[in-house]
Amino acid sequence: MSIIEVRGVAKEFRLGQLHGIKQSLQNAIARVRRQPLEPQPFVKALEEIDFGVAPGEVLGIIGHNGAGKSTLLKVIAGITSPTRGHVSVRGRVAPLIELGAGLVPELTGRENIFINASILGMRRAEIKAKFDDIVAFAELEQFIDTPIKRYSSGMAVRLGFAIATSVDADILIVDEVLAVGDLAFQRKCFDRMEEIMKRRGNTVLLVSHNIRQVERMCSRVILLDHGRIVSDGRAAEVCDRFFKQSNAKIHQFTHRSTSGVIRTSGEAEVMDVETLDATGRPTDEITSGQPLRVRVNFELQRPLAQPEIIVGTHTTDFVYLTGSSTAILDNRPSLEAGRHEVELTLSSFPLTAGVYCIRFVILDRTRRVVFAGDNLRSFIVSPRASEAREEGLRMLNIPAAWVMDGHELTEPALLERSG
Amino acid sequence: MLKNVISHRELIAVLAWKSIALRYKQAYLGIAWAVIKPLTLMLIFSLLRSIVGIDTGAVPYAVLTFAALLPWLFFQEAASEGVNSIVGNAHLIRKIYFPREVFPVTAVATKLVEFAINYVILLGLMAYYGIYPSAQALWVPVLVCYAALISLAIALVGAALNVYYRDVSAALPLVLNLLMYASPVIYPLSLVQEKLLANHAAGDWSRFLYAVYTANPLAGLIDAFQRVMLRGEPPDVHAMLPGLISVAIALPISYLLFKRAESWFADVI
Repeated sequence: MSIIEVRGVAKEFRLGQLHGIKQSLQNAIARVRRQPLEPQPFVKALEEIDFGVAPGEVLGIIGHNGAGKSTLLKVIAGITSPTRGHVSVRGRVAPLIELGAGLVPELTGRENIFINASILGMRRAEIKAKFDDIVAFAELEQFIDTPIKRYSSGMAVRLGFAIATSVDADILIVDEVLAVGDLAFQRKCFDRMEEIMKRRGNTVLLVSHNIRQVERMCSRVILLDHGRIVSDGRAAEVCDRFFKQSNAKIHQFTHRSTSGVIRTSGEAEVMDVETLDATGRPTDEITSGQPLRVRVNFELQRPLAQPEIIVGTHTTDFVYLTGSSTAILDNRPSLEAGRHEVELTLSSFPLTAGVYCIRFVILDRTRRVVFAGDNLRSFIVSPRASEAREEGLRMLNIPAAWVMDGHELTEPALLERSG
Repeated sequence: MLKNVISHRELIAVLAWKSIALRYKQAYLGIAWAVIKPLTLMLIFSLLRSIVGIDTGAVPYAVLTFAALLPWLFFQEAASEGVNSIVGNAHLIRKIYFPREVFPVTAVATKLVEFAINYVILLGLMAYYGIYPSAQALWVPVLVCYAALISLAIALVGAALNVYYRDVSAALPLVLNLLMYASPVIYPLSLVQEKLLANHAAGDWSRFLYAVYTANPLAGLIDAFQRVMLRGEPPDVHAMLPGLISVAIALPISYLLFKRAESWFADVI
C-alpha cells in the first residue's frame, strides 16, 4: 500500500503578468455570453507524473534546474494544486523546504523555536520536550535569548535545520537543505538526516543537487527532465545516468563557446585540439584515473628555434591542474614554418568526475609568449565504477593501499570500467 | 472551518502572539499604542460633539463614544489585517501547507488582545463617571464572538481577492472609513431610531431605510455593546436582526470563496 500516490499529475503555470480587474471582468462577461476566451500562454511544469511511494521508502528526486522538482514537492505537500491528475497522501507531512523560511529576525532564538516549530506542525508540549535538544544541536546555548537578526547567517541556518529535523512526521519532504554551515556542522546535518531516514523509518522525499548524497541516502531515485519522469529506479543507476547527462550538458556548453581565451603574437595559430582514448581515437570522455592523451595541431608563420611548448589542464572555473612543458627536455627541436602536430600523454588523469579543459602555450627561446590559449577544448571525466561508495569530499583519485592489523586490504581496480 | 481552526489553535495562538510581540518589540511605548488610538479618537469626537451637539441621554458622550470605538476598532483592524494576512505571509504560503484560513483567523485573534486592553480602559472610564456594569455585561463575550464573525466575513473574501487584485487592500481603508460613518460610532443608534422610526424623517421610506441601516451588522453590534455595558439593558434584538441575517448569509459565502481560491494562492501570490 503506497503512502503517497501520484496519478497523472500535470501542472501548468500561466505565463506573463497577471491581468487586472478589467480583463478579468471582460473574461467573465465573455464566459457568460459563451464567447471564446482569449487563449493564454502557459508553461508545463509537470506532465504525466505517475508514481507511488511505499512507507519507509527514501526517494530521491533529481534533475536540472527547472526540471520540475520543487513543483512536484509542492504538489505533494499540498502547497499548490495540480492542474490535472490527483495526489493522495496518507499521513502527516512535514516539509523541510528551505530552512529558515519563517524565522523572524526581530525575535529571539527561543521565541523563534516556538514559532517555527508550530508552523511545521509541532504541538506545544512536543516543542517543550524537544527544546533543549534543538538548542544543543544548533550549538546556540549562549545565544538563545538574542534576536535572530544579530545571528550570523550560519547560526540562523543551523537553528532552522535543528528545528526542521526535530519534527516527527510520517513523511518528510526535504528540498536542498542538506549541508548547511561549516564543514563540521555539515557532517552533523548529514548524520542527523541519515538517522531520521534509516532509524526512524520515516518515508522521505529528498530533492538535492548533491547527487552523491542522493545516491547514498536514497533507495530509489526519480530523474525529472522538463517536467517528465525520464528515469525511475535504483539510486546508483539513475544517478549515473544523470551524471552522464549533466556532464554532456556542461561539455556541450563549454564546447559551443569555443571562445578559448587566447593571446597570440600572430606567429602561431592553433588549428585543432583533441583528446584521445587509449587506442588513439578522438574522444570527449575518459574515465577517472585513465591515461589522458592530448593532440594539438598548430601552424607557425615563421620558424622558431627551440620553442617551449606547454600542454595543461584546468577546471571550468580556471583552476590550473596540470601543466607539462617541453622546457625540461634537453633535446627539444627547432620548428620550421608550417603545420606541426604535438601529442602529450599523461600516464593517469586522476581527477574526480567532471568537466575539464585544455590549455596550450608556445614560448620562444627567450620565454616570450608566441601563443597562449586557455579553454581550447573541454573533455569529460566520468566516475569510476566504485563512485557510489567513494568519499564525497575529494578532488583526486589516487590509488591507495590499506593495511589493517597487518593485513592488506585491496581496493577495486582503477581501470575496471572504461569510457 | 471550525474543525480546522480548533485543530490548529496552538498554531493560531503562537502566530497571534508573534504578531503582537513583533508590533511592540522595538516601540518605546510598546503596547500603550493599542490604547492611544481609541483615546485619541474619543477626544477628537468629543471636541466635534461640543460643536455639533449630539444628544446622548444620561450617558456622558466620552464614555458612549469610547464604548462604540471598542467594537468598531476591533472590527476595523481585524478586517483590514485579515484582508492583508495572506499576502503578508506570502513567504509561508509558498513554502508550507496548513489550512489557509489560519491566517485571517490569526489576524482576528490578534486583535482580541488589544480589545481586552481597551476593555480595561473602558471599565476605568466608566468608574470615573460613576457607571458600573450590571449582569448584562455577561453578553460581552457573545458580542465579541459576533464581532469576530463579522470581521471574518470581510477578511476571508477580502484576503482571497487581495491575492489576485491588490486593489482590495488599497480600497479597504477608504471603505472602512465610510462604513464608520454609516455605523453608530460618532452618534448613538438612538438618534437614528428617533429620526427614522419616531419622526419618519424620510416619509414612507423611513422603515425601509432603517432596515437598510441595521443590515450593517455593526449598527446592532455597537448599540448592543453600549446597552449591555453602559445602560444595563439587554441587546435590542429588533435592531440586531437584519445584521445577523446579513452575517449569516455573507460568512458562508465568504468562506466558500476563500476555500475555492485557496489552492491557487501559492501560484498567484
